[in-house]
Amino acid sequence: MRARPIHYLLISPAQLLLVVTIFVPSLWVGWLSLHEASFGTEARYVGFANYAKLAADPYFWRAFLNTVVIVNVIVYAELLLGLGVALLFAGGLPFPRLMLAIVLAPYAISEVVVVIMWKTMFEPQVGVMQLLLGALGIPGLEWAVNPLHGLTLIVLLAVWHHLPFTFLLLYAALLGVPKELHEAAKVDGAGAWRAFLHVTLPSIMPAILVALLFRYVFAFRLFSEPWLLTQGGPARMTEVMAVYLYKAAFRYHELGLAAATGWAMLLLSLAISIPYLRAVQRRMFADAT
Amino acid sequence: MRPRRWRPLVRRTLRGLAFVAVAVWSLFPILFVIHASFRPPATIFAVPPQYLVPPTTQNYVELAKLWPEFFGSLANSLVITLGATALTVVTSALAGWVYARRRGRLLTSSAFFMVLVRMFPPIVITLPLFPAVNAAGLSDTHLVLVLLYAAFFVSLGTWIMKAFVDQVPREFEEAAEVDGASLWQMLRHVIVPLVIPGMIAAAVFIFIFAWNEFLFAFVFTTTRARTAPLVISEMLGSVTGVDWGPVFAAATIQLVPVLLFVVLLQRHLVAGLTAGGVKG
Repeated sequence: MRARPIHYLLISPAQLLLVVTIFVPSLWVGWLSLHEASFGTEARYVGFANYAKLAADPYFWRAFLNTVVIVNVIVYAELLLGLGVALLFAGGLPFPRLMLAIVLAPYAISEVVVVIMWKTMFEPQVGVMQLLLGALGIPGLEWAVNPLHGLTLIVLLAVWHHLPFTFLLLYAALLGVPKELHEAAKVDGAGAWRAFLHVTLPSIMPAILVALLFRYVFAFRLFSEPWLLTQGGPARMTEVMAVYLYKAAFRYHELGLAAATGWAMLLLSLAISIPYLRAVQRRMFADAT
Repeated sequence: MRPRRWRPLVRRTLRGLAFVAVAVWSLFPILFVIHASFRPPATIFAVPPQYLVPPTTQNYVELAKLWPEFFGSLANSLVITLGATALTVVTSALAGWVYARRRGRLLTSSAFFMVLVRMFPPIVITLPLFPAVNAAGLSDTHLVLVLLYAAFFVSLGTWIMKAFVDQVPREFEEAAEVDGASLWQMLRHVIVPLVIPGMIAAAVFIFIFAWNEFLFAFVFTTTRARTAPLVISEMLGSVTGVDWGPVFAAATIQLVPVLLFVVLLQRHLVAGLTAGGVKG
C-alpha cells in the first residue's frame, strides 16, 4: 500500500533524530574542514589547507597506520575466533542457555570497565596475566612504554569485548544451514573438512560478509579503549584516528584540522560500506513499489 | 583395543576442553573484577597472588567515602538510559510499522537514508555539536545524551521493529479497520501487543549502549549529568595514584545490573540481531 502523509508524520520523529543530531552536523564538519577555526573564534576559509596540513603531519600518518593495522587484526581475529566458537556451539551445546549467556557476557560490559579489567590483569610485574606469562617463560607486555605492546593490548581487549557480536551473527547463520545439505555431503563421501569448505562455508558466507562489514565500520571508530589505556602515548605512538581527532579538537583547539580528520574518517567509513549499501539499496528499491 | 574406539572419546574430551576454554576466556576478566572488589586492597596486587583471603566490604565503604558522586552518577546513568530507551523504542516502533506496511520511492529513500547514517562515525559530530550544545545552554544536561544515544540506535531499532511487524498478518489490521478503529487505536490495541518482543529486543540494545557509553558522556558532561562510566574513568585518572579498591567496587556496581539484564534477556538479544537487525 502506498504511503500517505500520515505515514510520513509517523516516521518523522526517527528521521528528525538522525537529520538533526547526525546528518546535518556531519555535513557541517565537511564545511568546517575547509576553514581555520578554534572554539569561540570566527571561521576563516582556507580551502584544502587543513587536508594539506594533515597529509604533512607524521602523527596523523602514524595514527592512520595504527588504525589500519589494528582494525584489520581485530576484525580477522574476531572472525576466526567467532567462527571457531560458533562451529563448536553448532556441533551440540551442553547447557545451551548458560553457555550462551557466558559467551554473550562481555557484550554487557562498558569500555571503561573493560579497560580496567585488562589493565589490571596486565599491570607490569604484578598483573595476573604477566605472572602467568612469566611462569610460562614468555616476557610480559610492557604496554605503557612499548607502542607495539600497547597496541597489542588494545587489540586483545577489543577482541574480547566484541567477540559476542561476531559470534552471534555467525552462530545464527550456522543454525540456519539445512541439515539435509550436510547429510547429502556425507552420502557423497565428503570428509568433515571438505563438507565445511564446500557446504557450510558457502551457506554462511552472507553472514560472514555482514559481520566483517559491521566490525570494520565499528572498529574503525575505536576511541575509548586507546584513550583510557594509553591516551595515545608514549609520544603519540599508539594514537588511532579518533584519538588524533579528539586531541586536535579538544587539546590543541585546531578545529579545522580535527574536521578534516573527521571528514576523512566519514568518507573512509562510507567507502568500506559501499558494497553493503549497494546491496541494501538494490534489495530495498526492488521492493519499493 | 583398536584405535578407532578411542576416537569418539578423544573427540568428546577435546570438545569439553574447548567449552571450558571459551567459558574461561569470557568470564575470567569479569569474575576477576568482581572478586577483586571484595578483597582487602593490599592483597589485590600481592605477589605471589593471594586469592583465598576472607572477603571484605571495605572497598565499597571507601568508595562511598572517597567518591560519593559515584552514586549520583549512577542515578544520572539510569535516568539517561531509561530516557534514551523510551525515546528509541517509541520512535522506532512508529517508523518500523510504516516501513513494514507502506511502499513508495520517497519512503524507500528515507529507509535507505537510515541505513546510510548508521555508518557515520560518532566522534565526528562532537566537533560542531560541542559549541552548539554550549550555545543552546544544553551542555551538561541529561537531554543531550538522551537525544544522542537515541539517534545512534533509532536505525537499528527501526529495523528490528520492521522485522517484527512483518510477522504480523495484515488481516488483523484490516479487521480493526472494518470495526471502525482509528489508526491510533489500531496501532495501540492490535499491533503493539503483538510486537512487544520486538520492542524488548530493541530496548535491550539501546539500554546496554546507553548504560555503558563513554565518548559522548566524556565530551558533553562535566558535573551535573556525569554518568557512571565517566566517574569511573575519572577515578582512574587521579593524579595521586589510582586507588584500586574503590575502582573495582564501582566497576562491579556498574556492571552487575547490565550483566544480569543480558543473561535474563539473551533470547531477545539474539532475536534482535538476527531478525534483520544488521541485515538491513
